[in-house]
Amino acid sequence: MMSAPINNVVVVGRDVALWLAASVLRTALAASGVSVTAVELPSQLRPGDVQATLPALEALHNRLRIDESALLRATRGAFTLGQNFSDVSGATPAFFHAHGSYGAQIDSRAFFPYWLKAKGLGLTVALEDFSLTAAAAKHGRMLIPDDETEVYGRTDYGYHLPALAYAGYLKALAVRQGVEVHQALKVAAVLDPETGDIQALDLEGQRIDGQLFIDTTGAEALLIGQALGVARESWRTHFPADRVLTASGPAMDSIPSYAEVRAWARGWVALHPSQTQTHVIQTYASGLCGDEDALAMASRISGLTLSEAVVRASAPGRRAAAWARNCVALGEAACAFDPIHGVDLHAVQVGLVHLLGLFPVTGEFALERAEYNEAMRSQFERLRDFQAAHYALNRYGGSAFWTRARQAAPPPELAHKIAAFRARGDIPPFEDETFLADSWRALLTGHGVTPDTYAPMIDLTPPEQMKAEFQRVLGFIKAQVQRQPTHDLYLQSFCGHEGAAHG
Amino acid sequence: MQTDRTDRATLKVVIVGGGTAGWMCAAALSRLLDARAYEITLVESDEIATVGVGEATLPHIKTFNDMLGINETQFMRETQGSFKLGIEFRDWGVMGARYVHPFGTFGEPWGGVDFQHHWVRARLAGLKTAPLQDYSYAVAACRANAFEFPNEDDKSIRSTFAYAYHFDASLYAQFLRRWSVARGVKRIEGLVQEVVQHGETGHVATLNLKSGASISGDLFIDCSGFRSLLLGATMKVGWQDWSKWLPCDRALAVPCDRVDPLTPYTRSTAQTGGWIWRIPLQHRTGNGYVFSSVFIEEDNARDTLLAQLDGKAQAEPKLLRFQAGRREQCWAGNVVAIGLASGFLEPLESTSIHMIQAAVIDLVNLIPTPGEGRRMDPRLAAEFNRLCEIQYDRVRDFLVLHYTANQRRGEALWDYVREMPIPDSLTQKMALFEERAFLPDYKYGLFSRDSWLSVLEGQGLMPKRYDRLADRLPIEDLEEKLRDLKARIDSNVSTMSSQADFISRYCASAAEPLAHPAAAE
Repeated sequence: MMSAPINNVVVVGRDVALWLAASVLRTALAASGVSVTAVELPSQLRPGDVQATLPALEALHNRLRIDESALLRATRGAFTLGQNFSDVSGATPAFFHAHGSYGAQIDSRAFFPYWLKAKGLGLTVALEDFSLTAAAAKHGRMLIPDDETEVYGRTDYGYHLPALAYAGYLKALAVRQGVEVHQALKVAAVLDPETGDIQALDLEGQRIDGQLFIDTTGAEALLIGQALGVARESWRTHFPADRVLTASGPAMDSIPSYAEVRAWARGWVALHPSQTQTHVIQTYASGLCGDEDALAMASRISGLTLSEAVVRASAPGRRAAAWARNCVALGEAACAFDPIHGVDLHAVQVGLVHLLGLFPVTGEFALERAEYNEAMRSQFERLRDFQAAHYALNRYGGSAFWTRARQAAPPPELAHKIAAFRARGDIPPFEDETFLADSWRALLTGHGVTPDTYAPMIDLTPPEQMKAEFQRVLGFIKAQVQRQPTHDLYLQSFCGHEGAAHG
Repeated sequence: MQTDRTDRATLKVVIVGGGTAGWMCAAALSRLLDARAYEITLVESDEIATVGVGEATLPHIKTFNDMLGINETQFMRETQGSFKLGIEFRDWGVMGARYVHPFGTFGEPWGGVDFQHHWVRARLAGLKTAPLQDYSYAVAACRANAFEFPNEDDKSIRSTFAYAYHFDASLYAQFLRRWSVARGVKRIEGLVQEVVQHGETGHVATLNLKSGASISGDLFIDCSGFRSLLLGATMKVGWQDWSKWLPCDRALAVPCDRVDPLTPYTRSTAQTGGWIWRIPLQHRTGNGYVFSSVFIEEDNARDTLLAQLDGKAQAEPKLLRFQAGRREQCWAGNVVAIGLASGFLEPLESTSIHMIQAAVIDLVNLIPTPGEGRRMDPRLAAEFNRLCEIQYDRVRDFLVLHYTANQRRGEALWDYVREMPIPDSLTQKMALFEERAFLPDYKYGLFSRDSWLSVLEGQGLMPKRYDRLADRLPIEDLEEKLRDLKARIDSNVSTMSSQADFISRYCASAAEPLAHPAAAE
C-alpha cells in the first residue's frame, strides 16, 4: 500500500525566502499536481535591506522565467562582480574576491602555480590583477561575457537587489503562478497528537491544512524550532560578530559594480550599491561595541549619511536537521550564516534545488529526508568553512574582535584545506562546495597565506613562455576592460536607470 | 623576474617494481616533471613475475596516454589492444540475466530531468517502452560488436559514449618502459634484498640489492605489488580488510585462442563461487575465474574455467591470491605506494589501472620539491592519503553492489553476500534508487550516475516511483520521444563498422606477436 501522494504544500514565512520557495515549488511541481499555499507573516524588511546574490541565482531565475532587465528595472538593483575587502587602517592590503576566474591556463595547466612561482622570483603584480572580472569592477565597468572572454575564463556576476522590492517582485510572480496566499499576524502549528507531524497551521482561527510544510520564518523558526523542537548547533566560536546593523545611504554618483567590505577594529562595514541607494551593513560584537557606536562608525567608515538603521542579532549556526518530520526549513530557519559573503539567499537556493530533486512522492519519505539532511549538512558546512577562513586568517591587527577571530580553531576540513594550501598552493577538492577553487585561492592569498611550494610540473614551461603569457593576459584584460561599458551606462541602457526614477 | 629554478639539488625518486604501476608511474613522472629537478630510477627484477594478465581499462586511460603523447595506433598495435565500450554482466543478479555497464549515457535529460525518471514514468503509465538498456548507444554498439570513435558534435547520439581498451598489461608495461627509458628514467635490474631505514625518522634510506649494489633515494615509490615491500613490510602501515564485503580471495587466469566476433566489451559471468572474466585482445582472449576459497575448491574453479573457454587454452591456469582491502595510508614517511602495494579490489569493474593512474596524477601534484622539499611534508602526504581513500572507498561500494543485489538463491556465496551487512552509504543509495530512481551524484572518485544506473537496474532493482519534475513533460509526448530515441540509436549503430574491421584498418598487430628487441635487452 502506498500512502497518498504529497500534493499539498504550505509555505509559511516572510519576504524573499517565502516567495522564492513558493514560486519555485509551484513552477516545478504544478504539472505533477502539487498546490502551494503561502502563509505570509508581516515583513521584517526595512528600506535599507539588500539581498546580495551569488552568480548561481541566475539559473534559478531562468527556471522561473524571470527576465533580468525586468527584474533590475523593478527592483532598482545593480550588478556585482565581487567583493573588495579592505582595511580601514590601511595596514593590511586590500584584496578582491571576484565572481570569475583568475588568470588563464598556461601550457594547458592551471594559472595559479605560475603566479606563485613568479611571485617567488620577484613578480609584484597581485593575483587579482590577472582577473578580468576584478579589473572590470575596479574600473567601474560591467563585464558582459562573450566568446572572447570565455576563451580567457569564467566571468560571472551577482546582484545587489533592494530586498523589499525583490520580495515584492517574487510575491507577484508567485501569485501569478497560482500560489494561494494567506496573510497572518500570528501562526501556530497544529500537531498530530499521535505522530507528532504537523497537521495544519492555525491562523488565529483559520485552519490551513497541508501535507508538507516549508518553514521560511527565519531566525524565529516557527515550525522547525518552536513547534518541532529541532535543536541548533551554534557556530559562534568561528564568528566573533553577534550584531548586524543595516542602514541606507544615498546612491553614489557613479555606481560601483561590486561590494566594498571595510574591516575596522571592532567589526566590518560593507557597502552594497544599488540604483537608488547605498545599502550599508555594520557587523560587530555587542560585547565590544554599542549600537550607537556601531551606527556612528558605519557612517564614518562609509562616508555616507545613513538613515533607516536597524539592528538585528547575528547567530551563525545550523539546525541539526533541516528537514524534520513533515517540515523542511529553508533559509535562516535551517542555517544562519555570518553576513560576510552574502550567502543567505544562496543557501535558500541550494535547499530548494535539493528539495526538488528529493520532493516526496508519497507520505513515506524518510529516505528522502535522510538524504536531504545529509546533503544540506555538507553544503552548509562547506559554506561555513569558507566564511570561517575569512575570520581565522585575518590580519586586521590586535583588537579583541579580530584576535578572537584568529584564535578560533578552524573546523577540521578547513584546517586541512589551509594546511594543504600552505604546503603546495592546491585547494583540496571537497564535495558540495559553493565556492570554486578560484574563490578559495583569492580568499587565502588575499589574507596573506603564501604557499611554501608550487606544483613542480609547471617548471617544464620555459620561463620566457610564462612571462609572455603573463603579459598577454594583462594586455588582454586591459583591452577588454576598456571595451566594456561602465556599470552606470549599462544599467541605463539595460534597465532604464535614471529614466526609471520617474516611475 | 629573475632566473628559473636551475642548479638546485635534485630529488631522487626510486620506484620499486616494474609492473604496470611502476612503469606508468615512471612514465608520468618523467613526462610531467623537470628532469633537472627529479632523478627517476626504477628497480625491477626479471626474477619476479608481474601480475599482468589481459587487462581491461576505463576510458580515463586515454587521457593518460594522451598526456604522455602516446600515439594510439602504435600503442594498440604493440599491446595487442582492442577497443572497449563497456562490460557485459551475465548471470549476475539472477541466472540468465544480462546487462552491459556501458561507457556512455542512457537516453537524454528531457526538460533537465534525468532519463531514468522518464523511463520509469513511461513504464508505470503502461506506455510502450523498451528495456532500459535499449536506450544506451554504447550498449547497442556492444551488442552489434561495432566500433567507431565518438562523434565530436555533442548533439549527435554518436557522441554519447567514450571508449577504453583491452590490452596485454605486460606488453603495456614494456611499452611504457621503452618510452620511459628513452626519456631518461634509469632502470636497474635487480632484486631488493634489504631495505635500510633511517635511524631517527624511520624513513627508507637505501635499498640493498642481491647483486651487492645499493640504491639510495629521497622518495620511494612502492610498486612492488601484493608484497607491499616498502609501505607494508618496511613502514608497517596497517591493512583494512574488506573481505567481509568482497569475499573473493583467489583468481585463476588463463589465455585462450581468439574467437570471432571480436567483442568490444569485457565480459563478466557470475559463477557459483565468484565470476569469470573474458577480455578479448587481438591475438588471444584473456580469461580468469575470481573466486572465494571459502565457497569453492580451487580444482572445481579450474575445471569450470577451462570448461567455459570459447577457444583453446594456451597455458595452464595460473593462480593468484589476494585479499580485498587497502592500506590505512598510501603515503607514510617517504614511501608512497601505488597499485597493488596500496590495496586490492577485484577487477570486476576494470578499476586497477585507473587506481594507478589517479594515484600517479595525485603524486605528480603533491610530490615534494627538491631542495627544501627533501624534508617530507606531512601536509602533502595527508592530502594524498585523503584522495586515495576517496578513490578506494567509492569503488568498494560500487563493487559490493554487484554482489549484494542478487537473487541467486541457494548458492552459498550468493546467499552470503545477499544477506551480509553492507556499508550504510550503499544501503541508502540502493534504497533511494528503488524508491524513486534517485542516483548517487558526486564529483570525486568513480563512478558516474549513468554507471550506477546501469548496475542498479541491471542487478534487478526496479524503481517504484520517479522524480515528479518529470511530470512536466506531457505524457502524450513521452512515448513518441522514447520511440524516436531508440530509432536514432538503432539506425546509427547499424551503420557502424565492426570492431574487427575497425582494428584491421586502424591498428592491427602483426599476426604473430614479435619479441620486441627492447623487451629482450
